[in-house]
Amino acid sequence: MSSTRFFWSGIAAALLGLIALPAAAQSFRVQCPSATALHPDPVTLAPAPAAKIAQYNALVGGSTDAGVKATAYATVFPGHIKCQQLGGGDGFATMGDGTQMYLFAFGPLSGLGNIVHGLPGTVLNTVFNQSNLGPANGTITDAEGQAQPVGADGVLEAVKIGAPDSADYNFNGAIGLVPDTSDSKVGSVTLMIDPNTDLPYTGSGYTVGEQVVFTGGGGSGATGHIAALGAGRSIGVLADGVTAAITIDNPGSGYISPPTVSFAGGGSGAQPIAALVATDGLTGHVDERLIMDVGVMNGNFSAPTIAIDEDDELFLTLTNVGMVMRPDLFEQHTVHFHGYPNASSFYDGVPDASVAINIGGSFTYYYLAPEAGTYMWHCHISPPEHLQMGMVGQIYVRPRQDVGTTATLYAEAQNDQLDLSRKCSATDILCSVQLPPANSNPRVVGKKYAFDDGDGSTAYDVEYPIQMHGFDPNFHFVGMTFNPESFADTKDKYFLLNGRSYPDTIHAGPMHTQSTDGTQHYSQPLSTIINIPLGGKALLRFSDLNVTEYHTLASLGIRMHVIGINARLLRDQDGNNTDYYTNSITLGGGESIDVILDASDTTTYPANSKFYLYTPQLDHLSNDAENFGGMMTEVNICPSASFDANAKKCL
Amino acid sequence: MRNNTMSIDRVLRGAAVAVASVFAAAVQAAAPGITGTGTADNFDLVAAPGYITQPDGASIYTWGYGCNTAPASSNFVPAGVTGGACPAGSMQLPGPTLVVNQGDTVTVTLHNNLPAAAGNTSIIFPGFTMQPFADGVPGVLTQEAAHGSTVTYTFVADTAGTHSYYSGTQGDLQVEMGLYGALIVLPSNTATTTPTPLAGAVPTGYAAYIAAARAAPTAAAGLPDTCFALGGKLSGLMDTGDYRLAAAAYNHPETCYDREYLFQFSEMDSAIHRQAEAQALSAAGLACAQGTGCMNVQTEPYHPEYFMINGRSMPDDMDPNYATQYPHQPYNGNPHMHPGEQVLLRVIGQGRMQHPFHEHANHVRILARDGNPLFTLPNNNLAGPLLFTTSTTPGMAFDGIFEFTAKNLNWDPYGHHTADANNAAVDPGCTPDANGFNTGAAAVNQINYWEWCADHDKPLEAHPFGNVGSGGPITLPDPNILANGPWYGGSPYLGFEATGRAVGGTPIPPSGTVGNDPGGEAGWAYMWHSHNEREITTNNIFPGGMMMMLLIDPWNYSINEAN
Repeated sequence: MSSTRFFWSGIAAALLGLIALPAAAQSFRVQCPSATALHPDPVTLAPAPAAKIAQYNALVGGSTDAGVKATAYATVFPGHIKCQQLGGGDGFATMGDGTQMYLFAFGPLSGLGNIVHGLPGTVLNTVFNQSNLGPANGTITDAEGQAQPVGADGVLEAVKIGAPDSADYNFNGAIGLVPDTSDSKVGSVTLMIDPNTDLPYTGSGYTVGEQVVFTGGGGSGATGHIAALGAGRSIGVLADGVTAAITIDNPGSGYISPPTVSFAGGGSGAQPIAALVATDGLTGHVDERLIMDVGVMNGNFSAPTIAIDEDDELFLTLTNVGMVMRPDLFEQHTVHFHGYPNASSFYDGVPDASVAINIGGSFTYYYLAPEAGTYMWHCHISPPEHLQMGMVGQIYVRPRQDVGTTATLYAEAQNDQLDLSRKCSATDILCSVQLPPANSNPRVVGKKYAFDDGDGSTAYDVEYPIQMHGFDPNFHFVGMTFNPESFADTKDKYFLLNGRSYPDTIHAGPMHTQSTDGTQHYSQPLSTIINIPLGGKALLRFSDLNVTEYHTLASLGIRMHVIGINARLLRDQDGNNTDYYTNSITLGGGESIDVILDASDTTTYPANSKFYLYTPQLDHLSNDAENFGGMMTEVNICPSASFDANAKKCL
Repeated sequence: MRNNTMSIDRVLRGAAVAVASVFAAAVQAAAPGITGTGTADNFDLVAAPGYITQPDGASIYTWGYGCNTAPASSNFVPAGVTGGACPAGSMQLPGPTLVVNQGDTVTVTLHNNLPAAAGNTSIIFPGFTMQPFADGVPGVLTQEAAHGSTVTYTFVADTAGTHSYYSGTQGDLQVEMGLYGALIVLPSNTATTTPTPLAGAVPTGYAAYIAAARAAPTAAAGLPDTCFALGGKLSGLMDTGDYRLAAAAYNHPETCYDREYLFQFSEMDSAIHRQAEAQALSAAGLACAQGTGCMNVQTEPYHPEYFMINGRSMPDDMDPNYATQYPHQPYNGNPHMHPGEQVLLRVIGQGRMQHPFHEHANHVRILARDGNPLFTLPNNNLAGPLLFTTSTTPGMAFDGIFEFTAKNLNWDPYGHHTADANNAAVDPGCTPDANGFNTGAAAVNQINYWEWCADHDKPLEAHPFGNVGSGGPITLPDPNILANGPWYGGSPYLGFEATGRAVGGTPIPPSGTVGNDPGGEAGWAYMWHSHNEREITTNNIFPGGMMMMLLIDPWNYSINEAN
C-alpha cells in the first residue's frame, strides 16, 4: 500500500510541475457537447459504448427508415443533452412599492429568449451551440429557425449591450460563443493565385521579403512578408488562368472571415484568403467581450430557471462576470443543486468542500437528471449573504412518464423496476416511487405528470414554479455600500414569489429595472399568475430559499392537493399514496413541496372565476410600509379548456 | 468596514484550520451518553449555572443539567467512545444524554443548584407518564425542585426512539438559559407497545447487544443480519469499530443502522444571559427565597446571535466529544460514514425557534417523530417522508435514516478508468450485486466497496485542462480560475491517491486542506447546516453557527469514533 501511495505521490508531483507551465489564456468558456456516451451522434453513434450500439442495431434490424431509427435511438438513448450558461454578478430589482433593490445575482447567459418570456432557460445542445457571429449586416437563421439580424461588425444584434432589449427577443443560444480561432495561427500560408487577374501587376514584380498587408476578417498579429515565390511567378509571363504559388509568412490569426491582402511593393488586389479562417468551429470558446456586454449588471431574480427531464444530461456553465457595484469584493460564486440525491461533493457547489469560480472564470457543472421533482439551486458562497442578496433560483425535473409509450402507466412503472438505475427495491429506504397497487389507469393525452407515479395520481395540465423569498432592505443597502453586514438581526420587509411582491406578481410580462449603467435590464422575468384551463389541474412547484424565517401560503378557494415533498412522491413503502389535502402549506428555507390545484369540478370552479394564493402571515402581506403586497397572487380559471400550454395563457 | 468584517472572517477561518488540524485524525461523533445506575435506570442529575464558550471567544453565563454524582466509567456509552466525563455538580450544554432500554423504569433525581434568584426548576419528559411524586414541590407542568432541594421523576420508558427533556419551569427563561437534553430509549423486543414487533426480525437493546458483540464481534450473535453493523459484519475490514447504542432505532428491521449521530439544535440571545447573570448575583437575587424566583429578565424581543448544534457553534462542533477545551459542552457534531452505510440521525429541536436542517448529499427517510414510528398498517413498512431539509421544531424530536452511495452520477467517483494504463494496477474492478452495488466479500478491502458498478470506469474528465475542444465529456478548467476549499482534497475523486487518479493535475491540490488531506482521509465533504442561512453565523460572523461537515470516507479508510 505504501509503495503504491508513493507512486501516486510522484505522479502528483509531476503533474504539479505541469501546472507550473503558463496556463492557457482561456478563462470564460462553455461546455456543451454535441454527443456523449449516453446521447451519441445519431448517425455515427459515437461515442456510445459497443453494447449500446449493438442494442440499437438490433432494434433497427437493418432498416433504413428514419422513423425506425429515431424510435430505436429514443429507446436506447433516452433523454437529451441540455445546456445552460449562467452569469454570476450583480444587478437591481424592483420591489412592489417601487424601491430599487441592489442584488448579488445570477443572470442568464443562454436561453435568454425563453427567460424573458418567463420560461426555463435550459435548452437543447443544438440550440445552445449557436455562433454569435454572422455575415455583416445580414441575418442568420438560428437553430430554432428564427431570423437573427447581424450587425456591421459581424456580431448578432441579440448579443449586444443591454440584450435582451425587447419582449420580442428570441435568441436562445449561448452568449459569447464564437468559433475557436486560438488554435488557427499558421506560420505561413501559400496562395495559389493567377497573378494576372487576382492580383494585377502594377510594379516591378513580386519579390521575396516584400511586405504583405492583411485587411479585415477580425484577425490580428499579422506581420506578413513574401517568404517564397513559386515557379512562373514573373508577372506577365504566365497566361491567364495559370496559377502560381506565393508563400506568405506570419499571416496572423483569429480570422472569422477571409481577410484581403495587398502587397506593399508590387502587386495589389483584394483577394479574400479563405484559408486563414478558423476551422475549429464551436468548441466552447467564447468572446469575453460579448459575455461582459450582456452579462454585466444583468442579474435576474429569481435566478434563471433550470428545467430538465429524467434521462437528460445537464451541462451547466457558471461564468463569473464580477460585481460592478462592489469592485472591492473578489467574490467567487458557485451553483449548489439543492436536493440532488447522492450528490458528488465536487459538483455540490460548497466552496469549503470543492472549488469556487473566481471572477473572470467559467466552470461547467455536470449532472445526470435525478429523480423527478422540484429542487432549487443557489450560490453557496457565504450563504447568509449571497442568498439574502438574491442568488437563488429554481430547478425542476420532469418524469420520464411524460414521454413514455406504454399503454398504461403501471406498465411503465413495472418496467422501471427492471432497470437497476431506476429500481425501487424493498430494502432501499431512500426511494419513493415504489410500485403502486396494480391498476389500468391509462396514459392521458395532453396530461403531464409530476412523478413516475405509475397510477396517474400526479397528473396535471400546466405547471408553475413558485419560489418564496424575503428581502431585508437594510441588509441590501449595507451590502451595496461597503458596510459590515449584521446577520443575527436580519429582518425581511419584502416577501416575494418568484422575486416579485404583489401586485407585481400578477404583471404578465417580464419586469425590468433601470440599472446604474442607465439601461433597462429584465430583472424579474417570472410572473406568478396561475392560469388553469377550465376543468384542468395546475401543478405548483413551491420552493423556499428565505434565509431568515418560515413562510405559509394559503389557497383561498381551490384546496391544495399535496402530492410530493422535497422532490419525492408522497408514497409509503407498501406503495400507498400518502398525499393529502390542505388549504395552506408552510415551508422553511431549503424546502420544496408539490401541490396540485384541482379545478376539474367546473361547477365549483367555473369559467372566469378568480381565486387567491396569499400568506396568512399578515406581516408578510406587505411591501415594507405598504399594506396588501407581499406574498399574494391570483389563480384564474380560463373561459374554456383551450389553453396555450407554452405561454401558460388562456385562449 | 467591510474589509474589517472580511478580516474577522479570515481570522476565524484560520482558527478553524488550526483547531481542526490538531484533531484531524479522529473527530467523529457517535451519540454518546450515560446509562443509569443500579438495577433500575437511576440518574442523579443537577441543574446548575456555568459558563460555556463560543468560537468568537465569548464566555456565556448558562444554566444546564449535569451529573450530581459522577457516573462510573462503565456508564458511559457507547463503550467504544473514550474520555467520557460528567463531573459531579457541573452543568453541561446540552444536559447529559440519558440512554435507557425500552420498558425500563427510569428514575431521575434532580438537584436544584441554580442560583436562588432562579427559584424552582424541573424536568419534563414529553411523551412519558410520571408516576406519583414522593418529593419536590408542585409546579404548573410537573413537580419542581426548590432551590437547594431535589425532586425525583419516575416513569416507564415505554416508547423507543429519540426524545427531548427540558425544564418545565419558567420555560421562556430556563430553556433559553440551557436547561434541556436528550433521552434515548433503545428498542426492546419485549416491548408491548405499538407497533407490534415483527416476529423473527427484532433487534435487542444495547446492553444485550454490546455483550454479544464483544463476545463474538463478527458472528451474527443472534441478531438478524440486517441489524448487524456493516463494518462489524465484514471480516478483514480496517474498520471494525462499532459505536452504536443499539442495533436498531425501533422494533423494526428497516430501522437497523450502522452508525448514529445525535444533533440538538438551539439558539441563544446573550443579552438574556447577561441580565440573568447580573440578577442572579445581585444582593436581591442572592437573598431570594421564592419558588417563582426573583428575576425580571426581558426575554422579548428575542434576538439570538448564537446558533448551536449540541451546544457548540461551528467550528467547535467538529472537535471531539468530551474535548477538554469545552468542559461544559461535551458533545460534538461531526458525522462520518462510508458509502452504503445506514446512518441514524437523532435530531431534536431545543430552544424556541424552528430550524430547517439541510442535509447535503442525499435525502433522509424519516422514521419517527417524538418516538412515534411512522409505519404503515397493517404491514409495518416505512411510511415517513423522504426529505432533503428536515425542519427541527422546538421540543420536537425525529429519527431518520441517511445513506449515501454516489449512485447514478454517470461518472466513476473513484476515478477508475481503463483508458489510463497507469490506473489498471489499482483498479479493483466492480462486481454488481442484485441492486447494482459492489458488495462482494472480495471487495471489502477495496476503495470502491459499495460502488455503483454501472458507473465504474467512466471518467469524469477525459483530458487535462485546456481548450474545450480537447475532449470531454468534461474538461476541467484552468485551475487558476478556481479557488479550492479547505475540505477539498484537490481531486474530484474519492479516497486516498485521488489526486493521482485525476486526469491531469487539475485542479491544483490545495495547500491548506484541513480535515481531508489527499494523502490521508480524502473523503467527500458535505455541509450539513441550518438553511435559515443567517443561522450559520456566530455573533454576526460567517462562518459559524449551525453548521458541520459530513465526511463520506472510502471503505479503506477506518472511521474511528472513539475520540
